[in-house]
Amino acid sequence: MAQQVDVLRAVQDERYAAQLTPEQWSELSQSPQWQEFVTESPELAAPLIAKYGNQLPGNGGNGGAPAKAAAATFTTIGKRVPRVHGLGIVTGLGRYVQNMRVPGMLFMKTLRSPHPHAKVVKVDTSQAEKLPGVVAILHRGNLPKEYKDYRLGSGPPNRYLFNEEIYEVGAPIAAVAAESDHIADEAIHLIDVQYEVLPAVLDFLEGIKPSTPKQWDNKLDGTILNIEKPLVRGDPDGGMAKAQIVVEVVATRSTEQHMPLETSIAICWWDNDRVTMHYTTQYAHGARNGLAQALGLPQNKVRIIQNGYMGSGYGFRTGVDLQEIHAAILAKLTGRPVRAMATRSEDFIARGHRPQNRNEMKLGVNRDGTIVAGQFKVISNVGAQRGSAASGAWFQMQLGYKIPNLRLEGVDVFTNSFKSGALRCVGHPNGAMAMETLMDKAAYAINMDPLEFRLKSINLDGNPDTKLPFSNPGIVTCMNEAAKAIDWKAKFHAPKAKEVRPGVFHGIGLANVFCSHGGGSSNATGIVIVTSDGNVQVNSGSNEIGDGQRTQMVMIAAETLGIPLARMSITPHIDTDLHPDSGMSAGSVQTNTGGWGTYEAAMDAKRQLLEWGAKKFMDDAKKATPPQTITVKPEELDVVDGNVVFKSDPNKKLTVAQVVQSTTGQIIGRGVHQQPATWQRTAFGTHAAEVEVDTNLGTVKVLKYVAAHDVGRAINPLALEQQIEGGTIMGLGAALNEELLIDKATGVPLNDNILDYKALSIQDVPRKIDIILVEHPREYGVYGAHGIGEPPITPPGATIANAVFNAIGVRVDALPITREKVLAALKAA
Amino acid sequence: MKAFELYDAATVQDAVSMLSKFGPAAKVVAGGSDLVAGVMKDWIHGKGMPYPEKLIDVTTIPEMVGIKLASDSATIGAATTLSAIAESPQMQKGWRVLTDSLFSVASPEIRNLGTLGGNINQRPRCWFFRGEKFSCYKKGGDFCFAVTGDNRYNAIIGGELCYIVHPSDAATALLALNASATIAGTGGTRTVQFDNYFTGPREDVLRENILKPDEVMVNVTIPRLAPNTKTAWTKLKFRQVYDFALVSVAVVATQENGVWKDGRVVLGGVAPVPYRAKVVEQALAGKNIKENAKAAAAAIKTVARPMSANAYKVDVATALIEKTLLDAIA
Repeated sequence: MAQQVDVLRAVQDERYAAQLTPEQWSELSQSPQWQEFVTESPELAAPLIAKYGNQLPGNGGNGGAPAKAAAATFTTIGKRVPRVHGLGIVTGLGRYVQNMRVPGMLFMKTLRSPHPHAKVVKVDTSQAEKLPGVVAILHRGNLPKEYKDYRLGSGPPNRYLFNEEIYEVGAPIAAVAAESDHIADEAIHLIDVQYEVLPAVLDFLEGIKPSTPKQWDNKLDGTILNIEKPLVRGDPDGGMAKAQIVVEVVATRSTEQHMPLETSIAICWWDNDRVTMHYTTQYAHGARNGLAQALGLPQNKVRIIQNGYMGSGYGFRTGVDLQEIHAAILAKLTGRPVRAMATRSEDFIARGHRPQNRNEMKLGVNRDGTIVAGQFKVISNVGAQRGSAASGAWFQMQLGYKIPNLRLEGVDVFTNSFKSGALRCVGHPNGAMAMETLMDKAAYAINMDPLEFRLKSINLDGNPDTKLPFSNPGIVTCMNEAAKAIDWKAKFHAPKAKEVRPGVFHGIGLANVFCSHGGGSSNATGIVIVTSDGNVQVNSGSNEIGDGQRTQMVMIAAETLGIPLARMSITPHIDTDLHPDSGMSAGSVQTNTGGWGTYEAAMDAKRQLLEWGAKKFMDDAKKATPPQTITVKPEELDVVDGNVVFKSDPNKKLTVAQVVQSTTGQIIGRGVHQQPATWQRTAFGTHAAEVEVDTNLGTVKVLKYVAAHDVGRAINPLALEQQIEGGTIMGLGAALNEELLIDKATGVPLNDNILDYKALSIQDVPRKIDIILVEHPREYGVYGAHGIGEPPITPPGATIANAVFNAIGVRVDALPITREKVLAALKAA
Repeated sequence: MKAFELYDAATVQDAVSMLSKFGPAAKVVAGGSDLVAGVMKDWIHGKGMPYPEKLIDVTTIPEMVGIKLASDSATIGAATTLSAIAESPQMQKGWRVLTDSLFSVASPEIRNLGTLGGNINQRPRCWFFRGEKFSCYKKGGDFCFAVTGDNRYNAIIGGELCYIVHPSDAATALLALNASATIAGTGGTRTVQFDNYFTGPREDVLRENILKPDEVMVNVTIPRLAPNTKTAWTKLKFRQVYDFALVSVAVVATQENGVWKDGRVVLGGVAPVPYRAKVVEQALAGKNIKENAKAAAAAIKTVARPMSANAYKVDVATALIEKTLLDAIA
């Protein structure tokens, strides 16, 4: 097999990128890892696309002027429409992969390494093979040779299907296929593995030390993977020296987990030379392309079905991982269907999570509230694989506020622990956490209201370094609306100034989000079929992962076609054999990826309806008694409420069914949309919270929460509110409770289960989250809309940290803000 | 999970004789929320903790299910579900501290399956004990990983050798209520006060109570409260649903005009056994509860020996004892 391309290395290493061949660029462009990167981190991919764009499929930024010719009224857009497949979701009876049973299927379980760094000396499966019901065991020793060189992700270190040298707890050692789940589980306990244990780096701050042993031929210190080229603006040192006041914050974020309701699961089987897989993915076509690369098959021999009923994604399953590849190989070897379902622990430790971060932040300000200089350094723990996380946090530091003198630094550090990846965004929650706590501290330091301080320095001019203007204008509206909803002016007070009950203090805080998500990506495609009875099949490749995409697609189709929503139909699932590739459900892009594709397809179908309608009006006139010859041009017609009508006289009409029946069969509209890359796409929002902090128990209770977001245009306000509420709750979990811990001595995870990893329960979230939809429709968005999936998870960390400071007068800038940290901060104060 | 055999016991004697016949690899099961869905699913085993091969279901024993009320006490079958007890109007009226403690357990689904005996006799939640990769004292190993590791939730009182905290909310409330357990074994039936039911690591690190391998907890008897007795329950959790106690406090206080005459203050989540805070009780004896709650609560600090990362639990326990005392007399 040809040398595979390291996607992230191409991004991080200029010399590496420069020597890639056209074939390798082509391979890179088809890799789900690349597609995830450009979708989740468009601002980081932009320089590479600018340089090598002629070798890569177009992608990326987009934007536009205020939406012109916005319809005065909509028939469907803006209505609160419940999910089209909601019944299957709320009853649990929808076809989730977990609900599926395939005759003759085997169950796969994976034996995983208990050591963070070791060499696998020997794998003895003889005892496991004797267990009745065990059908096949796959491991490094018997992996068919055609798969031996396949690697997943970017090295160093390389990650093969089964490594000889393993770099993390949870690395796969063997996969067992058996007649039942329990037999497979018992079998993995009967496999005897000899390890040669090697020294591990578990703490990323250890990893950056020169004295730390190298684990590969590393030109950088210890286990540093990448030192980002600093971004410098003006004179950061001179500026800082001139500032009247310098404030510093070290803000940290712990490892966070996705915790989807449905753990990762695949069921797959072979039919001759084709493999079919039902899989919980955010991107059916990406999973197809990834599996095709792993198995050495052309893309059209791999069929992925994304069931649509899926216990969410949150960023960690945009492509295939080792579990799915092992399952496909075991299905081939056994000739039987194989079901591979991750345990909760496996989803926690063997797949990505949001990286752990340390942000060293320094801001120079003058007493009048002017920001003079900023020096920000982000150190990211990307886990046991090359990752790009530190510079992903820069966005808000770079763009949020007017900072004339600026230095941004970033270091990505490898550790022998969980791999990092996207989690409802990657780095922006970290960047916002660091920047917005720093802004708060600076405001208090100069005795200025934190809201006023932000408004004074807010950057409305676009990206000052690339000069790209912002796609959205809504940040000031978001700030003012959020402040109004939380009653900021009346409720803001000096730190620790409001004791509401003995030992319990009231606090209020806010934070902004600047995030590069919510524009569209390439692969914006769609198909719309108008059937001969006048109904509509919307055939979109927009993956439903619980975010309401399929509902949004039929709404866009109905609005665009002029046919009532009730006549639309869409499958919950995506089948790569039947649906067009419309990008991944990640990067908050689907509103403008699937949405634009569906819009263009509906426009195409409508054009055909008008053409056939004009023809039928003319034909009908000829058949009338007496026959008449009239001329009807398509542009004289419109589709209104399911009828093709004359614009001049809506009473002269044909039903859509009549028009379609006059054709040879049905009308098929197809759409492909190119996203222009002329704007700095930006999602804006402001969150505000009121909390009570119990200084005896360290409890932080969120009393009221407000989330204001610029959504461009609210296509489905109900779904938007659900997305914002969900993202906020996840963000509050990270702010208050969530942290994936490892034992510092052994590297073994301590709380890789949902009992000890304490995501919030429904009783722990504020009773009401006030959601404000700020609408500034822009031309780049379908109907002026901007995506919303990720931005709401970003501000809660800083919002809560700032409110806690306001309550108790001491800062806790290390998420999660647990009671032990609150109590310790109070003691230290 | 490994395959196992399941036996339905028809009578207590039946269960006891099966336990005796099968030996240490046999375990009593009721709701199974800890034994099956926890210990066995996660392969928690070791030299001193054989993986169960045979389970003996006691929910099929009629005598072990249900609540019997007498003039001076209530007797609850050990296989009665937590929901049945918590939702019983008589139990709520007579022993609110118990029903409050049961409502604070896990989630409604688990309370519908979990039983009183199961809750009292469940295994600890220490993440080193629960981690398959850690061979700790409690599983027959030779190390306590909490001593050098992340011990933020471990014991602040009474730990030695092993630093688990007792996980049962019911046990904490029952000790405060001065309840007793009826235990059946091959040698016959015996009644044990909860004062003497729980065992610390020094006595036997492999278990948390006096139940021998061939013994079954049959029922629990709770005396009625003395006149002028006030009670309160507090359980502090990291989240409100589906969580164990970081610290819990059960107060049963017999008072006269606000003055402590008799009673118990029992803490969960702080020690390897439900911990009766006698220092607090002594500090209250003969004194006005309201006026002395703060000082009495602070007495817990004199017996606490926190580890490297759990000193905050001492502060939390202190605050929580005061709060629960004040709640009781409010």
